[in-house]
Amino acid sequence: MAGRSVPAWSQSSRRWRIGFANITEDPAERLEGLGFTGAEVRASFVYAARGLPVEIVFFDNDRNREKALTNAAEAVRQKLDLYVQYCADETANNEIGRQLEAAGIPVIAINHAVHGAVIYTADNKFAGHIAGDALAKFAADNWAGQRMAAVIIGDLANKSVHADQRADGIATALKEGLPRVEQTRLDSLGNPGKAEGLLRRFASEQTETKLLIAALDDATALSAKAAVEAASRSTDSVIVSQGCDRLMHGGFNDKKEIDPQNRGSIVLGSVAYFLDRYGYDVLPLALQLLNDGMLPPRTTTQHVLVTASNVFRIYPPIDMN
Amino acid sequence: MNLRALSAVSIMLVAITAAPSALAQSDCTRTVPASPFGKDDQTGATNRVTPAVTKAAAAEIQTGKVTTMTHPLVDGIPLFGTRFTKTILTSNTMAPGASLGENNLTYMEDTWLSQSHVGTHLDGIGHIGRGDCYYNQTPMGKYINQNNMTRLGLEHLKSFATRGVIIDLVKVYQDAGKLHSNPACKNPCLDKGTVITPQDLQAGLKAYNVTLREGDAVFFNTGWGDLFAQYPAQNVLYNSGEPGIGNDAAKWLIDQKVILVGADTWAVEVVPGESKDLAFTVHQLLLTDNGIHIIENVKTDLIAAEAAATKRSTFFLNMSVPKAVGLTGNFVGIEAIQ
Repeated sequence: MAGRSVPAWSQSSRRWRIGFANITEDPAERLEGLGFTGAEVRASFVYAARGLPVEIVFFDNDRNREKALTNAAEAVRQKLDLYVQYCADETANNEIGRQLEAAGIPVIAINHAVHGAVIYTADNKFAGHIAGDALAKFAADNWAGQRMAAVIIGDLANKSVHADQRADGIATALKEGLPRVEQTRLDSLGNPGKAEGLLRRFASEQTETKLLIAALDDATALSAKAAVEAASRSTDSVIVSQGCDRLMHGGFNDKKEIDPQNRGSIVLGSVAYFLDRYGYDVLPLALQLLNDGMLPPRTTTQHVLVTASNVFRIYPPIDMN
Repeated sequence: MNLRALSAVSIMLVAITAAPSALAQSDCTRTVPASPFGKDDQTGATNRVTPAVTKAAAAEIQTGKVTTMTHPLVDGIPLFGTRFTKTILTSNTMAPGASLGENNLTYMEDTWLSQSHVGTHLDGIGHIGRGDCYYNQTPMGKYINQNNMTRLGLEHLKSFATRGVIIDLVKVYQDAGKLHSNPACKNPCLDKGTVITPQDLQAGLKAYNVTLREGDAVFFNTGWGDLFAQYPAQNVLYNSGEPGIGNDAAKWLIDQKVILVGADTWAVEVVPGESKDLAFTVHQLLLTDNGIHIIENVKTDLIAAEAAATKRSTFFLNMSVPKAVGLTGNFVGIEAIQ
């Protein structure tokens, strides 16, 4: 295409062997406080590798320090060209970083720092800011001059998934856009059922008030929706979520909240974290690092607000489910 | 006329005045190529099925053996999106005293409520577009009503009496030592997401010493149809993706001037696609840009087995499509005659 530079790796005939150590492949585990699974992350590497000069060697860190160390040792034994480490254990990451550095294997960390490695990560505060912005804009466009309350709800105290940063980003944007609107934080401890109860109580206390609800994940957003419906407050509540997992965008046959056929939903949108596309972002970085020897120290996910208007462009429902 | 009615009329007038911009038709010459069959062509690639092509294809009939390539259309099979197919049996004359004449004639009929793109079915060239532009630069917005299309309907198709070719990708991948079968397939299959390349197609043709020729109908056996046959148990997996041709293979087939491409999958093309940001690009390449038909959910296992047994992967294609005016596609019955 005219004007677009061709990446160096596309010219190379060399085929690289890249290790990807997934945080967990347990299908019951959800990642980063959102609705994604390790299987989705793994699949993104499988599909992104098609057409690239790479062979992926998969490892499962299984949220287990010993396994993570064993996996890294195996990567050294196999003399892999590069290692992508997705592991939340700080001490393991430091040790693994040193071992791979000693072996001359470059590392890309995902979401959690690894000693000496560049990192690909969600920008949690910015993602939160997008959600807060969306709520503030909706309020300014539709509810100007009316009494409003803002709620941030989710697993607020969970620093391991940076929920606090998401909440701070939301709060900052709400403060910027709606300086007079009072903000309340409801900590559901990551339990969507608890979130529903908390919000139902809050909604029943805030009569004659428009509710701007920022959920820290999609499951909580759907619980919040159920809560305001149960409290007969659907007409004066809106919700913006974080994550945009399959509950929100789904496949062709899925019942999904964000859908052009469901434009009237009080869930205005969900900020996409794209864990199901990590491979598409990380593998080109890996090739750049292997070919050029350098990368910016930090690359972040390009978060966007997914709504009924853009969901089919961002997440075309290409599967029939 | 009261005030409310007047204001309603005003709103309608404003809407109508604003309509030209909202309904403006794209310049389709910018987004879709012209048909090689002429500016008024609504037929597409079946223009290539000439009497000479049909006569040459007839030479494929040697033993007279007929192999079906059609799945039964029945409740429970995997369907795309909100598609449905239902039948209602009318059997009134079976009631006591309702038969006719001394010869006790009874009869039954059906009402078939069905969407057209179900089961083993053909995608017509009015099925897929790029924005509001369809095959042969057709500005489709001008040619639809609430019942059907007024251009590019199935009634314009010519004959499918041509040579069929089955390409057994399972064999290709097995022979190349690169088959990674999905564990849910009872027989070997390519897994979902596998991109079939031009080289794979050429290897499959070479295996049976076949060279494609203009007017051929090409079918792939990927093995994924094994999951269709297990309906409804594997519907979710079958629907979740599929092996299939990528853009390069589609372009290669276009260059061979085939008339249709069919497979034992629900979209013929690889899903997830080669780009995470694009949807069903092979459909656009084949249908929108080249008028080449797609046939989905083809039962290819039997003809692939027949090819393996007889070392012949070519056959006379026995398939016709109803002259259903204005339809975008329809279920079909396909037979391979050898």
